[in-house]
Amino acid sequence: MNRNIIAQLKQIVGNEYVMDTLEDRICYSFDATFRDSKPDVVVKPGNVDEIVKVMRLANQFSIPVTPMGAATGLSGGAVPLRGGICLGLTRLNKIISIDVANKVAIVEPGVITEDFSNAVARTGVLFYPPDPASAKTSTLGGNIAECAGGPRGVKYGITRDYVLGLEVVLPDGRVVELGNQVDGDMSGPDWTMLFVGSEGTLGVVTKIIVRLADKPDAKQTLLAVFNSLDDAAMAVGRIITSGTIPTTLEIMDNLTIRAVDDYLKAGLPIEAEAILLIEVDGAKITVEKQSRQVIQICKQCGAPEVQIAVTNEDIDRLWSARRAISPACGQINPTKISEDATVPRSKVPEMVRRVKEIAQKHNLKMVIFGHAGDGNLHPNILTNKHDHAEMERVELAVQDLFRAALELGGTLSGEHGIGYMKAPFLKWEVGEVGFAAGQKVKQALDPKNIVNPGKMFMYDSP
Amino acid sequence: MAVNVEQWQQQIVKCIRCGTCRSVCPVFQISDNENSTARGKVKLIESVAEGKLELTRELQKRMSKCLLCKACVAGCPSGVKTDVLFLSARRALAEKNGIPLIKRLAFAGLTYRKLFSLGLRMGALFQNFVFKDSPDGKGKRPRIPLPAAGLNERRLIPPLAKKPLRSRVPRVNKVVSPRARVVFFPGCMLNYVYPDAGVAIVDILKANDVEVIFPDDLYCCGIAAAASGDFRVAQFLAERNVNTLTGESFDAIITGCASCGETLKHEYGLIIDDPSVKQRWQKMSEKVFDIAHYLTTIGYSSQFGEMNAKITYHDPCHLVRGMGVSKEPRAMFKAIPGVHLVEMKDANKCCGCGGTFSLSYYEISRQINDEKLDNAERTGAEILLTGCSGCRMHISDGLSQRNSKMRVMHTAEFIAQAYKAKQGKEGKKR
Repeated sequence: MNRNIIAQLKQIVGNEYVMDTLEDRICYSFDATFRDSKPDVVVKPGNVDEIVKVMRLANQFSIPVTPMGAATGLSGGAVPLRGGICLGLTRLNKIISIDVANKVAIVEPGVITEDFSNAVARTGVLFYPPDPASAKTSTLGGNIAECAGGPRGVKYGITRDYVLGLEVVLPDGRVVELGNQVDGDMSGPDWTMLFVGSEGTLGVVTKIIVRLADKPDAKQTLLAVFNSLDDAAMAVGRIITSGTIPTTLEIMDNLTIRAVDDYLKAGLPIEAEAILLIEVDGAKITVEKQSRQVIQICKQCGAPEVQIAVTNEDIDRLWSARRAISPACGQINPTKISEDATVPRSKVPEMVRRVKEIAQKHNLKMVIFGHAGDGNLHPNILTNKHDHAEMERVELAVQDLFRAALELGGTLSGEHGIGYMKAPFLKWEVGEVGFAAGQKVKQALDPKNIVNPGKMFMYDSP
Repeated sequence: MAVNVEQWQQQIVKCIRCGTCRSVCPVFQISDNENSTARGKVKLIESVAEGKLELTRELQKRMSKCLLCKACVAGCPSGVKTDVLFLSARRALAEKNGIPLIKRLAFAGLTYRKLFSLGLRMGALFQNFVFKDSPDGKGKRPRIPLPAAGLNERRLIPPLAKKPLRSRVPRVNKVVSPRARVVFFPGCMLNYVYPDAGVAIVDILKANDVEVIFPDDLYCCGIAAAASGDFRVAQFLAERNVNTLTGESFDAIITGCASCGETLKHEYGLIIDDPSVKQRWQKMSEKVFDIAHYLTTIGYSSQFGEMNAKITYHDPCHLVRGMGVSKEPRAMFKAIPGVHLVEMKDANKCCGCGGTFSLSYYEISRQINDEKLDNAERTGAEILLTGCSGCRMHISDGLSQRNSKMRVMHTAEFIAQAYKAKQGKEGKKR
């Protein structure tokens, strides 16, 4: 990159926060997906003013800018595909306020999700529901960019359901405030929502206003074992329509159970075709009632066994199996490609069947687990990225997965976003007209196509 | 050996770049820079393996910015053995670029055992020319900053012992009816800096009817040289130590320094190339025990006197994540009457020392340590116990800088005192 531009960037954010050695550019060339693309320079601004100045400079010289949080994304949203500036936002890491009376918090984008959840929990009365698996590491800015979800999504929804307002630096360096702290703002269209899940393709989020939820008094954790996947899927459907909305409704298929048991030696029911991990929460009396109802439904649907966690250790034990999926799969094959194709929850059994067919058709190892309660399954392909022949089959299988999800009325992504990985297929979901409209929106806000180019509606094959 | 790409690939391929290491790496938590995370370094090594990056000095700097605390190994959901990978990368980098002169001289000195010993004894005599006593008398500070040696002016260095352990403990320490015979491997720090802890180890072994052999010709374990990539020196030291140790007859090899223990037990497997030496090492490695672990294994005498102390315990990385020792010292402390053990937050997080890391990156090292000290002081304990001399030195340095009243002791010293408390009482009774 031009020395003059590097010098100007250093003037804006300070020498220490501009890195352009090959070694450092490599360190900022990836996220949790498997393709890399090096930025020309890594810039880590410390406040909005610095971001404004960086964006003005980038706009003037048409330099690509890819915002990055903790780079834990699973669709490639933070990979600097077209080089240019990697804009690291982790220095903007202040929790500005947690307002208990109005149940609203204001935070900067670099705050780590779990740090924020913990801070909210310390109020004793509120909590922040979105709980992506990467919460220990991911940033709230990244969660908003990709619209992250998590196991609690069944009852509490995903990140978008909590965003009330955003401050965004537009690609030309102007700052816009969208939404506000009033829960129920209806002055015009929901501009805020346009930016949630936009993956930094429309601007850089610099401040976030989120809604907080009342902390439930009690919760109950259950584990139901099923001899057939259909029974488990039927139980999912019946629970949801019974009036009880569980906090969490996670499914693990037989291959996943076996993989985890091999790894943990936890005595899981390895003959079971599926297990459901279910959590209900709310007022103590309601939780007891809901819990009874869930057990009844599971048994009616043919579950020979339902375990109830009483102590915290029990809860931990039940969750440990869910948490061990990732390492357990790593023992089988080194590369894990995690998809999040989501279908209407009534279509979960059908989707599971199709996933199995796809695995067989392409001769791949695939495990299925995920958030069955909201139809957000995670078919995971276990492979080796150095096996090029197999990776070609993986690519075809992924396309088949997307097609299956869309045919069943679902979506490409339930929580991981589009990034570069699903951009080639976005048109399948939104259609020609939708895709063209998306491009128009992008062009209106970013006429020079400098923020996170090459993703979403501006995908062009590399 | 240069670059062992195949060995690297086995680890690299497992990294899914999920970023969990960001949440556990003490250096990343201070530096907020991807070039200090495990996945960042794995990516760098992958780039070398793929021919996209040379073994540059810039790479060497980034690879050395790691405590080797194994927090990323323990926290990795995919089981990437980053410690193995990083040590191997440091070796390749040192072979290509060399290592800083000051380290090279120091490591070369380690290979001349007698000269090294003499040097350190002379050092004990002449240390006051370079260092002055700290006002609290707990240690020494450089009179002038010695950046080449990584010595910051405010840093407190423990004084060299006037009389090293070797001159205080005989070669054979017999007991009346021995239940076991062990070899004691003291390592440099117990020998030259904290000999009291070394004496305590011999004392408590004897108190448990264990005969202790203390061989003359043991060298530095070699971890500092290996961690800096100087495998030539590390292999020399490893080979000599394996020869000496396997030349004795013993039931166990006892260490009182987490890093020496971990090096003898596991890291030699990565350091030693020579197949015949490796074979002999493998047989002896199973018999390497940390002192607290060994006493637990043989069933220690619970003849403890009352100690009346509020204590807290810091887990050295090389004990908790290396040798797998964490419950044993705690259980021993709890068995001592009058002892109130208060756990500190993140007791098993690295103290920030990382051996030579603290020489190269003292400021980061200090910040990590300060957090540890905050957690330790919050327990209200009077004594902090630990089983590693590196941790002890770094924690003492921090405590002295903040004028803390908290004292640091080695696990074995505390236990030895507890045994003495009982003997003293019974002595009085008689």
